[in-house]
Amino acid sequence: MRRTLRVGMAVLAVGALGLAGCGRSEGGGGAGAESPAEGVTEGAASGSIDVWAMGTEGEALADFAQGFTEENPDVEVKVTAVPWDAAHDKIATAIAGGQTPDVSMIGTTWMGEFASTDALDPTPDLIDSGSFFEGAWDTTNVAGTNYGVPWYVETRVLYYRTDLVPEAPTDWAGLTAMAEQAKAAGATYGINLQPGETGAWQTFMPFAWQAGARLVNDDATQFTLDTPEMVEALTYYQSFFSGGLAPTDLPQGDLEPGFMGGTIASFVSGPWHVGILRDLDEAGMADVALTPLPAGKQSASFIGGANLAVFKDSDNRDTAWKFVEWLSRPEVQVAWYQQVGDLPSVASAWDDPAIADDEYLGVFGTQMETAVAPPSIPTWEEVASVIDTELERLCKAGADPQEVATTIQQQATAIGTGL
Amino acid sequence: MSAQAALRTGAHGAPVRSAQTAVRRHPPLYRRRTLVAWGFALPFVLLFLTFTAGPVLMSLAMALTDLRSRDLRSPLAVDFVGLENVRAVLADPLFRKAAANTAYFVLVGVPLTLCLALAVATVLNSGITRLKTLFRVGYYMPVVTSIVAIAVVWRFLLHPDVGLVNEVLGWFGIDGPNWLESTTWAMPAMIAMATWRSIGTLIVIFLAGLQGVPASLHEAAALDGAGAWQRFRYITVPSLRPTILFGAVITGIGYVQFFEEPFVMTQGGPLNSTLSVAFQTYNQFGFGNYGYAAAMSYVLFVAVVLLTLLQFRLLGERDEPRRRRRRAARDIPEEVGP
Repeated sequence: MRRTLRVGMAVLAVGALGLAGCGRSEGGGGAGAESPAEGVTEGAASGSIDVWAMGTEGEALADFAQGFTEENPDVEVKVTAVPWDAAHDKIATAIAGGQTPDVSMIGTTWMGEFASTDALDPTPDLIDSGSFFEGAWDTTNVAGTNYGVPWYVETRVLYYRTDLVPEAPTDWAGLTAMAEQAKAAGATYGINLQPGETGAWQTFMPFAWQAGARLVNDDATQFTLDTPEMVEALTYYQSFFSGGLAPTDLPQGDLEPGFMGGTIASFVSGPWHVGILRDLDEAGMADVALTPLPAGKQSASFIGGANLAVFKDSDNRDTAWKFVEWLSRPEVQVAWYQQVGDLPSVASAWDDPAIADDEYLGVFGTQMETAVAPPSIPTWEEVASVIDTELERLCKAGADPQEVATTIQQQATAIGTGL
Repeated sequence: MSAQAALRTGAHGAPVRSAQTAVRRHPPLYRRRTLVAWGFALPFVLLFLTFTAGPVLMSLAMALTDLRSRDLRSPLAVDFVGLENVRAVLADPLFRKAAANTAYFVLVGVPLTLCLALAVATVLNSGITRLKTLFRVGYYMPVVTSIVAIAVVWRFLLHPDVGLVNEVLGWFGIDGPNWLESTTWAMPAMIAMATWRSIGTLIVIFLAGLQGVPASLHEAAALDGAGAWQRFRYITVPSLRPTILFGAVITGIGYVQFFEEPFVMTQGGPLNSTLSVAFQTYNQFGFGNYGYAAAMSYVLFVAVVLLTLLQFRLLGERDEPRRRRRRAARDIPEEVGP
């Protein structure tokens, strides 16, 4: 027994010595300063590249990439489908182990975290930054350097029932009036807004941006979450719940049937809801319409989606970037939309009749013009979870908006921007 | 034990006193045997060091540093912060909330699960003979069913308007709450679900324990005029004490690490009322605060150890004879209930 204890102590001591040997080098990680991007060689691509993609994209990309290999016969594209749930950890593990693929799809809110590990390659000139929606392009920018490109986008708009809402609202007062009117017309709830829990910030932030709030200062070193604009947006968001216009405790899965059944007159969501509603009640779609989110001081919405990034450790960097460039061409983006339904991040792709003629998609295209990305900072996911919790307090427990803003700012500052 | 074996044990366990003589007498043989023994043990030792001891020590080391996701490419270039992480964890209001929730879950959940499992096992053991297997399979079913499927079914059951639970409550004129969206009722719903899920294993264990209770004791007590409840209280329960201890320990360990139910049902909500320590640790790992999250999991580990020690004190064998004596001195039929 004594001997075991002594061995244990020795192991701990050696471990402690080993740890004492570590330490941060001054100056921090690679994302601290702007790093210049290297060029990419001209000519046809060659060699093989590993590509990771999640969800539907992961399943469809292998076949779709044949278009690229037809143009560049010497290239082999190996696609690995990764489930969304496992993707974040898998990429983190790959970075830690130095076993990264050449290209990977990356959720927009993960960009700050992965870019600050110094594992991503800055975007070269081969990519035309001007071709993307501005908000989408911003998601690739971490501390002044762009890493990768936006692959596809989504944004949030207002879904409403034409039988309960005679005219689409265009401003904040109009939205409140619409919800009240719809309630008077027989709906149980005038609107559904997410009252906290995971992802609620994505529904709330458009209102903050519409009020003119900004989440971080210019160089993203400090949070600016406790501002009059933020309080204004919080007060407005809360008014829907305190006025009984929006539900605070809607059970999961009740939104869509409630909306199609006429008990919920409107809600804020992204493009995927068109398909969900259509599957639920094809005929009922006659009463459904979409409109951009009503504007406050300005128009704004949330932009989400996924980016494509090339890793620094790539053995075949040039081919990797050429593949990314190919996926960002307008005609390829349209073809990709037709295959899997992802909305193009390249603005000119929206002029293609395949997208322009769709009765619902046009609204998303309009909204994209003013959609804003959350700050690309390593700690964003953690700050977002604080906002989710505080929004829940605001909507369900009736907390004071000013106090909520102060708490968010305090906790966010304690977490830090991580840059 | 043979003389040779005794010699070997002595040589190994207390080198100072007897090993010297042993080594002097058979040095080559002793050394060779040790080498051969280590040779046989080597595959296990290597696997143990690589896959068990290594990761545990590394996570312990991680808990003492400020490792974050941005350090992934150079995990050694981090600062050693000692117990700073643990201090930060204990000061974190969200962690305290999670700890309070976990304590609530364990303190209500463990006794409830044990009592229900014991009750069902006793009934299955004595009352029901024909469909015993059917019931046993029925109670064990939730243990082997995927939590994902369970979550879907329970969400239907707990639905405020069309759910079966509120439907049944409605028959008795009770207006059931919106279980999963209520800060008061979400946790009881989690406890009910966890109890339902883990009761099957305990029933099987208790059934096995009940087989070991001597029938002669029951007969003797019955002859002395003890009723069914008294026989259960003073014969079945004391005889089952080691089994109950085992059940309490494994249930306790499982419940302190309460994670799956809120993960699939509520994501810790509403208003963090079902956020558990394990879930909060998971979140922190997700946010890339590896050092902090590792420290949090070690705090949870200490809690598991403390709870287990407490259970051994309360239910362990040690003080059994004393209690028996005390009880024997009293008039048995007068003491009712636990």
